[in-house]
Amino acid sequence: MTSDLVIGMAGSGGDGIVSAGESLTSAAACEGYHVIMTKAFGSQIRGGESSCRVRLSTSPIFNPGGTLGVAVALNWNDFMKFGPELPVGGNTVVIYDAHTGVAPDEIPLIGVTPREVCSVPIADMAKRASGSDRAKNIVVLGMLAGWFGIAQAALLQGIRKRFAKKGAAVLEGAERAFNGGLEYAARHPLRHSRPIARPAGAGAKLLADGNEMCAAAAIFAGCEFFSGYPITPSTEIMQFLSREIWKYGGALLQAEDEIAGIGAALGASFAGKKAMTATSGPGMSLKTEMLGLASIAELPLVVVNVQRGGPSTGMPTKSEQGDLFQAVFSAHGDVLRPVLAPTSVADMFAITLHAFNIAERFQTPVVILSDQDIAQRKESLDPIDTTQFVPLQRRTPNDAELRGYQRFRFTDDGVSPISRPGMLGGNYQGAGIEHNEVGAPTASGALHARMTEKRFRKFDALRAHADLFRRDGDPGAALALISWGSSAGVCREALQLAQDEGLRVKLLTPYLLYPVIEETYREFLASVRAGMIVEQSYQGQLFRILRMFLDLPAEIQSFARSGALPFQPGEVVERLRAVALRLRHADALQPAE
Amino acid sequence: MPLNTAFAASDFKSELKPIWCPGCGDFGVLTALYRALANIGRPPHEIAFVSGIGCSSRIPGYTTAYGFNSVHGRALPIAQGIKLANPDLLVLVAGGDGDGFSIGGGHLPHVIRRNIDLTYIVMDNQIYGLTKGQLSPTSPRGLHTVTSPEGSLEDPVNPLLYVLGYGAHFVAQSTPADMMGLAAVIEEAIRFPGFAFVNVQSPCVTFGEPDQQLKAHREGMKPLATIGYNPTHRMKAMALAQTYGKDLYTGVLYRNPNPPPTYESLVRERQRHLAPQALPRDRILDQFMQRVAPEGSEA
Repeated sequence: MTSDLVIGMAGSGGDGIVSAGESLTSAAACEGYHVIMTKAFGSQIRGGESSCRVRLSTSPIFNPGGTLGVAVALNWNDFMKFGPELPVGGNTVVIYDAHTGVAPDEIPLIGVTPREVCSVPIADMAKRASGSDRAKNIVVLGMLAGWFGIAQAALLQGIRKRFAKKGAAVLEGAERAFNGGLEYAARHPLRHSRPIARPAGAGAKLLADGNEMCAAAAIFAGCEFFSGYPITPSTEIMQFLSREIWKYGGALLQAEDEIAGIGAALGASFAGKKAMTATSGPGMSLKTEMLGLASIAELPLVVVNVQRGGPSTGMPTKSEQGDLFQAVFSAHGDVLRPVLAPTSVADMFAITLHAFNIAERFQTPVVILSDQDIAQRKESLDPIDTTQFVPLQRRTPNDAELRGYQRFRFTDDGVSPISRPGMLGGNYQGAGIEHNEVGAPTASGALHARMTEKRFRKFDALRAHADLFRRDGDPGAALALISWGSSAGVCREALQLAQDEGLRVKLLTPYLLYPVIEETYREFLASVRAGMIVEQSYQGQLFRILRMFLDLPAEIQSFARSGALPFQPGEVVERLRAVALRLRHADALQPAE
Repeated sequence: MPLNTAFAASDFKSELKPIWCPGCGDFGVLTALYRALANIGRPPHEIAFVSGIGCSSRIPGYTTAYGFNSVHGRALPIAQGIKLANPDLLVLVAGGDGDGFSIGGGHLPHVIRRNIDLTYIVMDNQIYGLTKGQLSPTSPRGLHTVTSPEGSLEDPVNPLLYVLGYGAHFVAQSTPADMMGLAAVIEEAIRFPGFAFVNVQSPCVTFGEPDQQLKAHREGMKPLATIGYNPTHRMKAMALAQTYGKDLYTGVLYRNPNPPPTYESLVRERQRHLAPQALPRDRILDQFMQRVAPEGSEA
């Protein structure tokens, strides 16, 4: 029995590999497994190669996993194109279509001997069952259910649901294909059978990807306006809202370009609505001028950047954490804008709500830095108790404040009550030009200095937000990890593995990346002598930003590499071991006191 | 037009003193706008007035409406967001020819095809005034400016033909040389149920050409009302529009007698239609729930 299984499958575009992965994921979530599914495609619009990975586990998981436990190749050409995304190791069971004509001892995996290699007449079985080889993916599902004991009933139910509309003949064919796979597995037991254990809590799970979770959270937060321009890998946010937002009295505009996308959202915010736009790196570049306007006009706005490999078109379907500098520094002018990052689909809900709350409370644009991995992976999660989250509203002027209303009044906390068109007495001039307290243009350096100070000071209250950081592990550990975004999910598992080995280590996950809350890091680092900041960018952008604000111990080093090749928990642990060893050597050299 | 509304032109005049050069055409536009707004009779706090960047884009600040002097070229997207967020507002947009036809030119076709109920007033002076005399997208070919000391090598944009070509349902042109006509055209544009475009030949006294000054307008303008023109034919309007840069026709060039519904009215319809399908906000995540449905319950 195993408690954690990673299945990787690849085939041609029409093979239904991704659809099989989705069925498997949904069925596993129904049965209470923790599941994460990722998919990858060739660059073709349609056809070409496609692949997916499904990781299922009986305990919580925070990343899509590494080396495959099961590899399914419908043909080897397509499988090999995904190389390191579908890594086969000594413990992998490899299943492939006998139709490929490749002998089991001739499969094109170089330098690795899988645990077991099964050549299965997948296409033939599909043809026999349904008259066409289009049911290959369903045969595969049957085999996986049979060999690994995964969610047989839920899978069959899912298949029935999916094919019910296509007529009795198609449905029967699909069922025969599934049962064919099951029977094949029963007749040909694996030599090294490793079925997966039943999940302990059979409670139903939510299944969502980061983009739809972000969009749903926006609705929960009270977002009533979205405008944006389609760009991979963020578009599903707009697609979700284009179905949902109207139901809540909101509106959506598919803008003519990225600039209009943020512009209309900013206009809606000026009109008093909670508003959001979403994009990826290149679109973010186009939106940057308007971010400056939102900052000086002190208008709430949530801007999601689902990061992909860059710069420029870069690698639109691959994950990277290379836009942190852009999120933090890309504004013209002397300004601060909060930047938040979720680490999983599960915490995308809270992070999106935080983003709206910070935007509304501090009258500021807020950037959510998601990444392709979180945005497009399907992840199971336990139901979220939404009642523990309270959407905040912007502070509007009361009657007294509307008499002689000053939109940009200097207040103790730097936040001035904000009116909206339609509010009698609240009339003011919003502007990108520097202004005085009523909003009239000014060229006074003294006033500019005071307004700038106000626009920074208002964020002081963010320092008290302990819930914008997560701390795991041994609080007194000398060994530490700091990580953000999807890489933090890898570090959470690495932390567990390292602790299982007896290492004393801890992990800090900032959800609020900027402003850098120095006190929080200092407090975390007080016990720390060595460690790593783990992130997926060549430069190690968080590492460099933290060094602007903090004197990091010299033994805190950057563990960073460019995108598309996600970190694996094992390699983080390996480095931790080496660092721990260095620390012990250093201690041994210290004279005893 | 009824003049017995609760508001006088002065109710729309703010305390800010315009920074425009003495004699600037934009003063006339501002005065005409005050008059039009008084006739319309909406209180200032129900008006949102958005502009971009340029001399003319300072105009919202000289009114008592809610103003938003935004960034260069982006007044239209911001105004669309405002109107969709709150369709009850009267939303005005203003800017110069650079703002509307050059840096922000890409937005104009889209606001037109959406037919969002905005009134867009362009103060077209064929020059960049705020940055002191560079070529604008409506500058005539051959014009000598500080960025074209040897003469411009480009044809100008024809704003009238452009918006008519994109299907605008209300297109007018005027000049501050005809104050009554300008105020009437702005008022009619505001009353038009849909996107309305008013191109105002608003002279730059500092950098503009002599033949583009108010005096020349007064002598050469051709009010459409005086030639028995019927503004309900798009193709006729386009024929007239071709004379942009040579003849100064003033008045309404085109007004669709049967304009299509506005975008925001369709949005409201959709909101009403779909509202019953809304899950309570705090149960929005229910749609992600994976359940093994009981046998036979599959819909």
